[in-house]
Amino acid sequence: MTRMRPTVARTALTAALTGAAVLTGAGTASAETEVAEPTTFTSAFTAMATPDMVVNADGVATPGTAGASGTFTYRINSDLEIICYDISVRGITPPYESPAKTATHIHEAAPGQSGPPRIAFPNPEDDGSGTLVSNGCLEGPFTTGVAPEGTDTGEGFTLAEIEAGPSAFFTDTHTAASPAGAVRGQLTAIPVGGIETGAGATADDSSSAALPAVAGLGVLVAAGAVVLRRRATAGA
Amino acid sequence: MRPGPAPLRRASLLAMAGAAALLVSCAAQGSGPGASPSPPSSAGSAPTAGADRDPAPPPAPAVVDPASVPVPVAVSVPALGLVEELVDLGIAADGTAEVPTDFDRVGWFTGGGRPGARGPTVLMGHVDSTAGPAVFYDLRELEPGNLVEVTSADGTAARYAVSDTQQVAKGEFPTAAVFGATATDVLRLITCIGEFDQGARSYTDNLVVTAERLP
Repeated sequence: MTRMRPTVARTALTAALTGAAVLTGAGTASAETEVAEPTTFTSAFTAMATPDMVVNADGVATPGTAGASGTFTYRINSDLEIICYDISVRGITPPYESPAKTATHIHEAAPGQSGPPRIAFPNPEDDGSGTLVSNGCLEGPFTTGVAPEGTDTGEGFTLAEIEAGPSAFFTDTHTAASPAGAVRGQLTAIPVGGIETGAGATADDSSSAALPAVAGLGVLVAAGAVVLRRRATAGA
Repeated sequence: MRPGPAPLRRASLLAMAGAAALLVSCAAQGSGPGASPSPPSSAGSAPTAGADRDPAPPPAPAVVDPASVPVPVAVSVPALGLVEELVDLGIAADGTAEVPTDFDRVGWFTGGGRPGARGPTVLMGHVDSTAGPAVFYDLRELEPGNLVEVTSADGTAARYAVSDTQQVAKGEFPTAAVFGATATDVLRLITCIGEFDQGARSYTDNLVVTAERLP
């Protein structure tokens, strides 16, 4: 966790600077902020990022770092405009390099195409095992620090756009050795939350009036135990 | 069940009580899923679609796109006497995983990995219905080394060995660790476990069994 602090601090600083800019009327966008993980999510996405998927700004295949691979998993709450990131990359060597404020992004573009970054994430750092990781949650609105035509490429972007068409987005990270991208992968949707693979999973919520109807002495005893457990948990 | 971090350990403790309740409420109905113990006899036949035959040092063999290989159609777990065809599962409107509508069927998440490609291939089945044990009731009995075989539409059989069993709280479900893309060919089998919340009519935890591809 301590490794994350510099990044968090940087994000906070960026936010502060952007805020100052707003105050002085020099800009309109406010940057994302690091937030705690929300209790629920509306969607999740993962990408298998590999060097062979990298293309440069002109859309020309430009292989990234040989032998590297990364898993980029995102959980989104589009109601709260929060995206939690869980990034793990192996086989790349910092320093990172990008004109954006970080070098780890979600871009908007189809496979084999180039496209603008929409969100910039804290760069993965070595977790001590040789794997580079980055975890946390960001709340929009988002800015990337890149504004080729005067407007930040994150401005106006919302997480609902990813939910509407994840295949139109890819994720990557850029290093000095592979500035076009060390690894890249297209987003694919995955389920979010626990799996309801038990009796009653398809039933509507609660109404403990249903309890006696389940019948069976054993069940009632078991239910009693559950109530006790829940009480204990609630008290904890 | 791994000791794991504190929250998991707590979950495991609660699970003991939950499992006991489950036995009372479910075991009465007795008969488990189908009792056909003989898997398709392809145990010895090596799969042909693997890209995992690289003797060179590079730590990362080429990652195979799941879309480039046939879909899985059946699973067998000899240790449990389980042989099932697979149904397709996607993502529900609320973002959660679809699960089989039939308590006696096993499903696979079509948006994930596939045998012979990058992982994970994710199979899901119910632990019980409202009447008795369901198709994955015995999943908790799996031990490291147990064989799981997945047959693809072209008839090839991919063999996996159980490497890990985790109990995770649904409220803190590790989406990235379970459904996050893996460079290697990994299989996961998921069902419910833990305490059954009568009010929510839902188990509190999931059981996630991971199996690694055998050559």
